[in-house]
Amino acid sequence: MAALGLQDNEMRVPEPESPKIAISKEKLMGEVRRTIEKEALEGIKSLSIVVIGHVDAGKSTLMGHLLYALGRVGDKKRIANERASEKLGKASFSWAWELDGTQEERERGVTMDVAIQSFTTPHRRFTVLDAPGHRDFIPKMISGASQADCALLVVDAAAGEFEAGFDRGGQTREHLVLVRSLGVSQVVVAINKMDQVSWSRQRYEEIMGLLQTFLMQTGFAVQRIQFVPVGAMLGVNLVDTNQPEAEALRKWYSGPTLADLLDVLTPPPRLIESPMRLPLTNVFRGQTSVASGIAVSGRLSSGIIQVGERVSVLPGDETAVIKIIEVEEESVPWAAAGSSVTLYLSGIDPVQLGIGTVLCPPSDPVPLASSFVAQIVVFDIQVPIIAGASVELFHHSRDIPATVTKLLATVERSNGTVIKANPRVLTKSVSAKIQINIRTSTMSGQAARAMPIPLEPFHVSKELGRILLRRNGETIAAGIVLEVLD
Amino acid sequence: MKLINKHIAKDHSGHVTLRPEEDEDMWHLYNLIQEGDLVRAPAIRRVTNVSSTGSTDSQRLRLNLTLTASKMHFSPAAAPSSGTAGTSTSTGASQGASLSISGPVQSQHANVTMGAYHTLDLEPHRDVRIIKEEWDSVSLDRVAESCKEGRGADVGAIVCGEGTAAVCLLSEHMTVIRQRIDVPIPRKRTGSATMHEKGLARFYETIYASLLRHIPFSSLRVVIIASPGFVKDSVYDHIFAEATRTGNKALLQARNKFLRVHISSPHVHSLVEALKSPEASITAQLKETKFAREGIMLDRFFKMLGSDEMRAWYGPEDVLLAADRGAIGTLLISDELFRASDPAVRKKYVQLVESVQGKGAEVLTFSSMHESGQQLNQITGIAAILTFPLDVDIVKAEEAAHKAALEEEQAAAEEEQ
Repeated sequence: MAALGLQDNEMRVPEPESPKIAISKEKLMGEVRRTIEKEALEGIKSLSIVVIGHVDAGKSTLMGHLLYALGRVGDKKRIANERASEKLGKASFSWAWELDGTQEERERGVTMDVAIQSFTTPHRRFTVLDAPGHRDFIPKMISGASQADCALLVVDAAAGEFEAGFDRGGQTREHLVLVRSLGVSQVVVAINKMDQVSWSRQRYEEIMGLLQTFLMQTGFAVQRIQFVPVGAMLGVNLVDTNQPEAEALRKWYSGPTLADLLDVLTPPPRLIESPMRLPLTNVFRGQTSVASGIAVSGRLSSGIIQVGERVSVLPGDETAVIKIIEVEEESVPWAAAGSSVTLYLSGIDPVQLGIGTVLCPPSDPVPLASSFVAQIVVFDIQVPIIAGASVELFHHSRDIPATVTKLLATVERSNGTVIKANPRVLTKSVSAKIQINIRTSTMSGQAARAMPIPLEPFHVSKELGRILLRRNGETIAAGIVLEVLD
Repeated sequence: MKLINKHIAKDHSGHVTLRPEEDEDMWHLYNLIQEGDLVRAPAIRRVTNVSSTGSTDSQRLRLNLTLTASKMHFSPAAAPSSGTAGTSTSTGASQGASLSISGPVQSQHANVTMGAYHTLDLEPHRDVRIIKEEWDSVSLDRVAESCKEGRGADVGAIVCGEGTAAVCLLSEHMTVIRQRIDVPIPRKRTGSATMHEKGLARFYETIYASLLRHIPFSSLRVVIIASPGFVKDSVYDHIFAEATRTGNKALLQARNKFLRVHISSPHVHSLVEALKSPEASITAQLKETKFAREGIMLDRFFKMLGSDEMRAWYGPEDVLLAADRGAIGTLLISDELFRASDPAVRKKYVQLVESVQGKGAEVLTFSSMHESGQQLNQITGIAAILTFPLDVDIVKAEEAAHKAALEEEQAAAEEEQ
């Protein structure tokens, strides 16, 4: 009897109720391809863009105004933001409030975390990531930039302000180097606050010259850099130059507007055939009745997913089932590489999920590494890197302490030939092969085992193979993973 | 720690009796006692007697045992780690640091056979006698240092970022992470930031609770709240808003002890950065403490490495070479090197320290229980700032060429000493 009862129980233990997988992988792949081809015929492409630049360059204001000008934000919302910001005595931040949603950001007038929004131009569907410019929030900016296909750099044209951002230690410089290191190759430069220099053509060209040289040094191809003068507060040259304030600009500028430039950006090829990889940027609890339970969001860096699929959650030994897929707040049956998605999961404890977790198919998991070999390019640093240096390792949205355990060799940047094996130090602008270990804290007693993180060698996956190293609030090196050791 | 008794003969052998009083003293003892030393301390041992009828009877006896230290284990009072997510509030054992020493018993005793293994758990306020065959200068310095009065430079620190925090206590030789806090904070999303704000509120509450539980602010000199961005201000504001709301007078009175310091990353290793930061009055209040000096010196070493690579050397072989040439201005050495189980290795480092000190240079022994010591350990545990530039490669080449000559020189130098 007991045995029978037990068996009965066992049989009743249900798999977490999973929505049926609608179609097989092959069929789905076919459908994805057809959709992409159809969109290509219509000339509509989707891509994600990260907005970068020095603090107070006007990134959020520019985005807020652009969203309004493109009809994404209604008048009602705009008036509400204007009123509320005036009440706080921060009327000049009213446009930015559309993106700076938290109370703290609004009170301080500083973007502190990436805001994700979407808008469309006639031929493009954009996911926009409005990154914080303040140097303390660069980890957040890296998280945003690693989800982007291209970048919109906002610089402040006002006297002294551009220079502050562009000089050593300014974020204009650092952000550009970071996005390039993370694989972004297209950049639109919006030269903002032109109204404060009375739309001076000379100033515009001066800044353009300086930036062009630097961009090319950083590794952007000249034909993939575009410049545009704008006045974000007044809304000048975002979608048109019909504003009365823009008269001075119209005299000498008749080129494309910001929206025109965005409309012709080309998305990189999407890796829909590769195994699915989804690094998470946010974990939260869904609060609507349709979409309740544990929600995660991120950008699908490769592969395709569909509702009902079971996914592995790494690091960890758990799997979850996808209940709902949302893209731009619409429920969809499937999503392909390149899209920013929100997934609602079932059959998993939220403790297993965190920012930086990677979702992948159980059949094709991402290797976990606590020690790996990387090839890095050292940036312009004052204190050289030595074996044993403590650094912070950035990989997608993850930020963890690590140690450079071995300096294996300095190498030629272009072909990887060894210049010197076992160098004593790495000074600025050399390329090198190094071994990095995730750091454990032995200070609190027993050396806890290092928590491995999901990483893939660059030749396997470009998206999951890029790393950044920072130290004392400064980015010291960028690199790619060559080999996962442990 | 109190020095109860000290007897050291001309040949440097002898014994020292110490009475540990606080957590840090356990750390000193851990560094003093080496494998092979004799340790005498009170112990509790279960003794089984078999009577003539065959019935057994076991008793717990308090004995004084002397044993040869063969294995040591030190654990600070700390929370080792916490889960990856979830409102983890893992706390360490409430008692302080502990040190256990095991080895064969060396004293004759009615109830314990010679050579039987025992593990001594050293306890505060119980005398412990250490008998060494050789008390070297490093050990004696440590005894002197550990018995200095009024060295309690106790500092509390909360190193935090958005959603993560480490609550630490720093004393002269130890940094103990009392609690790691990891509260998941959903990031802001289009249209709604309520979940983000709820998460933040929960995070601040957890920090406040942890502060009350783990930081004895009334007895500390300073409490540092360090973070990148604005978290430190929010945490500070929240703490005192809560203290005012709940009428926590002790906390409100300690308000002037709280310092907010800007650091560049939310990880615990930023403590070094916080401790040497000029923006707070930290340096004035804590300049004389060991951890501040360590942090500053390590920083100076790294800066030297950047500005004049030939004057910043690290690694045991290199530093020994530099010492031979009398080039060392400041020697940075980790206490971990003195804990080497091989006496010859320890002797090598002791001699290095003595010779460098003999030349009038500064020697700083880093505690590997501090973050700065951990960082020094990662770069081999030994480093030196030289008084004049020397090229490592040239020195090494010369070394190879004149090896024989140098050996003679070394022998001569040793004779001189």
